[in-house]
Amino acid sequence: MTNRRDFLKTSVLASSLLFVPKFLHALDRQGVARLGNSNGRRLVVIQLGGGNDGLNTIVPYRNDLYYKARPTLALREQSGLLTLNDDLALNPAMTKLKALYDEGRMGVLNSVGYPNPDRSHFRSMDIWQSGSAADQVVTTGWLGRYLDSNCAECQVPYTGVEVDDTLSLAMKGGQRKGLALKNPEKFHQITQNHFIAQVSGEQAPSNASSELDYLYKTLAETSSSAEYLYQTSKVYKSSVTYPNTEFGRNLKTTAELINSGIETRVFYVSLSGFDTHVRQHEQQGKLLGDLAEGLGAFTEDLQKSGQFDSTLVMTFSEFGRRVQQNASNGTDHGTANNMMLLGGALRKPGILNAAPDLANLDQGDLRYQLDFRSVYATVLRDWLGANDTAILGSEFERLSGIV
Amino acid sequence: MTTQKRIQHLYWRAGFGPRPEDVDADMSPRKALRKLLRESEKFEPLDSPLMRYTEIKPPFVAGSAPAPVMDSRVTGMTTTPDQMATSANTSATVAGLAPRALLAGSTPGRPMLLRRSQLTPQQRKMENEGIRDAFYQMNLGWMERMANSLAQLREKMTFFWHGHFACRVRQPVTALQLNNTIRQLALGNFGDLLLAVSKEPAMLQFLNNQQNRKQHPNENFAREVMELFTIGRGNYTEHDVKEAARAFTGWSSDEQHQFIFREKQHDTGSKTFIGRTGNFSGEDILTILLEQPKTAEFITTKLYRFFVNDTPSPAHIQPLAQAFYKSHYDISALLEQMFSADWFYEAANVGNRIKSPIELLAGIKRTLGVQMEDPKPLIGYEKALGQTLFEPPNVAGWPGGRNWIDSSSLLLRLQLPQVLFKNAQFNVALKEDENDILPSVAKADRTFRQQVKTHLELKPIAAFLAKIPEDQQAAKLSEFLLQAPIRPENLVLVQQTAAKAPVEARLKTMITSLLALPEYQLM
Repeated sequence: MTNRRDFLKTSVLASSLLFVPKFLHALDRQGVARLGNSNGRRLVVIQLGGGNDGLNTIVPYRNDLYYKARPTLALREQSGLLTLNDDLALNPAMTKLKALYDEGRMGVLNSVGYPNPDRSHFRSMDIWQSGSAADQVVTTGWLGRYLDSNCAECQVPYTGVEVDDTLSLAMKGGQRKGLALKNPEKFHQITQNHFIAQVSGEQAPSNASSELDYLYKTLAETSSSAEYLYQTSKVYKSSVTYPNTEFGRNLKTTAELINSGIETRVFYVSLSGFDTHVRQHEQQGKLLGDLAEGLGAFTEDLQKSGQFDSTLVMTFSEFGRRVQQNASNGTDHGTANNMMLLGGALRKPGILNAAPDLANLDQGDLRYQLDFRSVYATVLRDWLGANDTAILGSEFERLSGIV
Repeated sequence: MTTQKRIQHLYWRAGFGPRPEDVDADMSPRKALRKLLRESEKFEPLDSPLMRYTEIKPPFVAGSAPAPVMDSRVTGMTTTPDQMATSANTSATVAGLAPRALLAGSTPGRPMLLRRSQLTPQQRKMENEGIRDAFYQMNLGWMERMANSLAQLREKMTFFWHGHFACRVRQPVTALQLNNTIRQLALGNFGDLLLAVSKEPAMLQFLNNQQNRKQHPNENFAREVMELFTIGRGNYTEHDVKEAARAFTGWSSDEQHQFIFREKQHDTGSKTFIGRTGNFSGEDILTILLEQPKTAEFITTKLYRFFVNDTPSPAHIQPLAQAFYKSHYDISALLEQMFSADWFYEAANVGNRIKSPIELLAGIKRTLGVQMEDPKPLIGYEKALGQTLFEPPNVAGWPGGRNWIDSSSLLLRLQLPQVLFKNAQFNVALKEDENDILPSVAKADRTFRQQVKTHLELKPIAAFLAKIPEDQQAAKLSEFLLQAPIRPENLVLVQQTAAKAPVEARLKTMITSLLALPEYQLM
């Protein structure tokens, strides 16, 4: 028996042909063939739900204004802050990310937001997921529209995978939608349910002119994808230790899918619970630890298989918190926030723009310096090779030379 | 199209589905329509003490530090519960309403939400749970009505306007008040409905009109009134938005959740709106919008897409819109005209709409007389399938149509009958995001694992099939349960599955199988 790495190399391409029932081959090949020109690159989006406090994540540890605004909540150097440069340091819980930063695998974008920020969780998340302006309602997601634009003819929904039970708006396009699954085995099991398997095994219509055809077509694609994902994901079983959290398990699933050679361009994973109105230290510290440990293991996993160079990880949250701490040792809903980028092939790692300006606030909130859609545009065009303007609906200035 | 199919079509579209007795009654579609209209005449508000959450007022402690004052924009922010706890203690929380009202300093009947930062963590938690429970009660109470109310058309129209005048607020009392205002005027005059909804505190708050003042106009409300509620995009300019916003300055609400006109905040200057100039009030703006035939066309098109076909047919819509305009926006008359049209019953318009999650769930409940020992899991299904009452995704409401279906939601839909009737597990962890009510709920509390106990009322179905020979029962049942024609191979599959079941379970097995078909997703 060859070792796992060799097996992986030879079987990744063959796997779908080996295991997938014959009638599904046409679907799969078509789907893979029509993927956009992303050069084998993939994007992993990490959603930090609840509004992560950016100021206590990437800490302005030399700024008096920060300590004035947060007498008990501010993080001090002696608490173990992980220094990034003369202005900024990482939360002490994020040692794994500090290591990646030092290796030049991490970039930090400060003060990312949008005009007229909305402080409600659901609306602001809607804005970030759809990629819309604050006064605009868009019913498709920005990654879904990427699938539309780069994979219009794809016959398989697994070009975009959300590791979760239900699919987020971000992954829903007008024509194409991603696929949500907690793990390939469980998802496959459902499609193997006697009745569903019988029905999905029936002749699928070639187009979806009627609503009934659309349902049967979706079912056939789902079934085909479940089979492909399940069989392919068996190729690689991770030997890396992930934190024993839901988020950790979801990242492990993501890594196993990537390392098994799945042709997915976009992955989406969420970590929630950042709504820290009360006793933030404890709660946020734990979550940032989960985040860093999880991403540390994920990175190690991808590095082992040589997939980290073709992977870009991007984190975001629907808003940051107020600069001033509140009376319950927590923070309330704010505006602009930081985003983190991770990847083996980042062209420009490090702190990528100015630290948040705490001297120039808008009624106690950070002013945004960078529109989040500029970040999306950069990732879409420069990383995935997609038409950012078409996907985002208008042109946003891209950040040159970053990814 | 058989008469039975036409009757079923009417009941699916104008209500939440037919019961066996509805199609057994030997009625013409015309007579059934008159019956639906008549039975929907009466308005009964949705209400119960459990839906009326009384907020916590923290006890005043002398000498305590003054509570920090939050930015008004933050308190104006609106969020509804997005969390569905499913652990066994959920019912205990509901029952816990009474002790909460006894909390020191709480004043029952005086609804006023406190700034959250003034509450202790414990009070905040209790308030969050109280709010959540009230929304659950409203949600389940309405689902029950959809399934069992005689006023099917009124409830269906309330549901339509619930998506049209989409609104999501934190206070249960204002959400319920808006819902009942809509219910009351759902079949009346659209102008009355528009005015009443525009003056609802929930809507004014949701669309930031509290922040719309003479010196600093906030255009959100004015914009949505035009873009989404009346004439639609392309029929007004940015200048019209600005001028309308000035006219709505001063529209606000008081602490008792009543509309209040704050004269001092109102801009009394001259405004020019859609080509007319005057010292317009908010009411004037709505009147001018109603005078535009485009408004009648916009509303009619939306109704057509909801009730008839997602692809609008101008040939069908134009005459309806013109009559609607001429009738000064008589909603009942418009609906009657739509449901009486020959094209309404044409094959192209039957069994071609993907049921929304609410229509799917309420439809199963109604057509099969389903009773649930504990109805709370319904909320979990709503959330997992993507539509929770009182929680539209944004001001534009639910997009609907093919948007409901992706790989995972379709599989969930097809599993649902097994979950409801065969004690299969519904093993879905809901997302934790968007949650402002119960932060950091453990995964176990977001997962619907418990098996539901349902009672399926088989007698009416059995009576409906009584005279049908056994080998034709599956076909007859499929004609009742499915609006889209069943694939022949699926009929065989249903028959085979039923044949394998013990005799006493055959009917239930047939029903479960038919409900698990893609065909059942359509109406």
